Amino acid sequence: MNIIETRNLTKTYQRFTKEPGLKGSIKSLFKREFTIKTAVSGFDLTVQEGEFLGLIGPNGAGKTTLVKMLTGIIAPSSGEISVAGYYPNRLENSFKQEYAVVMGQKSQLFFELSAADTFLLFKELYHIPEEEYRKNLDYFIKLFGVSDILDVQVRTLSLGERMKMELIVALLHNPKILFLDEPTIGLDAVAQKQIRQFLKEVNETKGTTIILTSHYMEDIKSLCKRCVVINGGIKLYDGDTDQLFANYQTHKKITISLEHDKTCSFLHEHVILEALPYKVTLLVKKEESQELLKDIFSRYDLNDISIEEEDIGNVVERIYTGKSEVKA
Amino acid sequence: MNTHNKNYNRSNMRFIAALIRMKLSKMMTFRLSFFGAFFVDGSMFLIQVLFYQAIYSKVDSIGGWSTSEMIIFIGTFSLINALNMMIFFFGTNEIPNKIRNGDLDHYLTKPVNSLLRLSFESVDPGSIPLALASILLVLYGVKQVELEVTPQRFMAYFIIVLLMTLLWYDLQVITRSIPFFTISANNIARMGDTMLELCLKVPGTLFKGAFKVIFYFFLPYGIMATYPTELIVGKLSFPELIYGCFIVALFTAFTLWFWKLGLRHYKSASS
Repeated sequence: MNIIETRNLTKTYQRFTKEPGLKGSIKSLFKREFTIKTAVSGFDLTVQEGEFLGLIGPNGAGKTTLVKMLTGIIAPSSGEISVAGYYPNRLENSFKQEYAVVMGQKSQLFFELSAADTFLLFKELYHIPEEEYRKNLDYFIKLFGVSDILDVQVRTLSLGERMKMELIVALLHNPKILFLDEPTIGLDAVAQKQIRQFLKEVNETKGTTIILTSHYMEDIKSLCKRCVVINGGIKLYDGDTDQLFANYQTHKKITISLEHDKTCSFLHEHVILEALPYKVTLLVKKEESQELLKDIFSRYDLNDISIEEEDIGNVVERIYTGKSEVKA
Repeated sequence: MNTHNKNYNRSNMRFIAALIRMKLSKMMTFRLSFFGAFFVDGSMFLIQVLFYQAIYSKVDSIGGWSTSEMIIFIGTFSLINALNMMIFFFGTNEIPNKIRNGDLDHYLTKPVNSLLRLSFESVDPGSIPLALASILLVLYGVKQVELEVTPQRFMAYFIIVLLMTLLWYDLQVITRSIPFFTISANNIARMGDTMLELCLKVPGTLFKGAFKVIFYFFLPYGIMATYPTELIVGKLSFPELIYGCFIVALFTAFTLWFWKLGLRHYKSASS
């Protein structure tokens, strides 16, 4: 059953423009000039109940605007939209009971108080019966392993601990849909991994539909079976996540730190991102990476080596242009 | 009222109570700021009273009002001001920033009226002494007038004070909601505050002609302390009383409509 449906969804903004300098400012006093920016254009989307959908795209692609339309924060300019059977921008309270939203950069917690204080407020906010509240709270406290920091002032929590609390606050009322906007932003690798595990568990055990926007490719790859790529407000891809990365994430980023300043003979064969006397960063075709690594290990004294996936921006750019060339 | 509405109102009340508890807990976290608020608001009241004394001690009557009536007027405005500061001033004052920064997003995604939440989330108990001192000032003024004021009239006075507090709230929300439509609306809010300050100093009976139309109808700051004062000293006519209630109802309905319209125009902010 579809829990989210949009057809030809479009959002345009009017943006004020002016020539630079005082002259331009004076001119703009009398004659206003505006440009129209299309943040989301003709967007069709269907999401099944219980799905874990990834929404990716570079900055300004239209992801957040789409999420804001789906949650009713802003009204679409045109097109059809239905979320859990509601038109979101009518802002009906019964609709708001159906979902939760977590924005990585905007906290819902009261910083001067403990997280437990915010939980109590949200209990009243969502009219959660005492028994259900206790049951859910106990479940999430155990799942997130946060029993010892519930009564600690939020401002003294680490970013990872705070994000766990944000998720508990959002999930307390058993929402059918959870919108997550950059939930792992700024977190270290360990905290990112933990958050991913929790989200997976929530999706599987509670059947919560999750819409995840993230710049971290690892979030999308490990959590979302299906993903949607958006750029310039237009949907570029909608399908299997593994397939997307198999098609477009063609390179790996390899950084090597050398023991001695030595000219690397293999440099000219690959795209160089950075070349310092003791450190080189390259973009290497996936199929050539194994061979190259063997070569590096056998010929050079290494201080350190790291192998990363390509930046999501490059992959999305490649999808957008439909070209396979690699940019440094 | 049907059961659904009753339940809805009850849960809203529970939410407001929880919000107030949260705010008080938050304030108590910082002891200096908690106790400091009482001191600051108390000092402001004292300065205000001294200011009025300096002006009105030199004259016997202003716009047909005796000194005693002026004392009631000052006490009344101070009381409405204290109620405003205690309940909704700090919450509604933040509306323009929340619109501009996109912080309203969180309010719109929660199943409670966003305006209700904004209005009650920054209560300030620091103004309680100010409210009590204002009541004492009104009682002192009433004693000076040498009129017998019945308990019923006191009751009616407090009801109209509450209605005028609601009118103040309406005007505050309207001026603070303009950034929904145009980003730079600071001057409009400032203009409203300046007019309010003017009406704090002189009774509405002084306004004539176009000023009367402005301060009695378009921006009815002029009736806020004037009508309750006139009521308690027995000078408020029945048509004026009806007019006062009508203006409050009109502005409250307009405020709710304007807020809803604003929400439809809300653009949020890029993240």
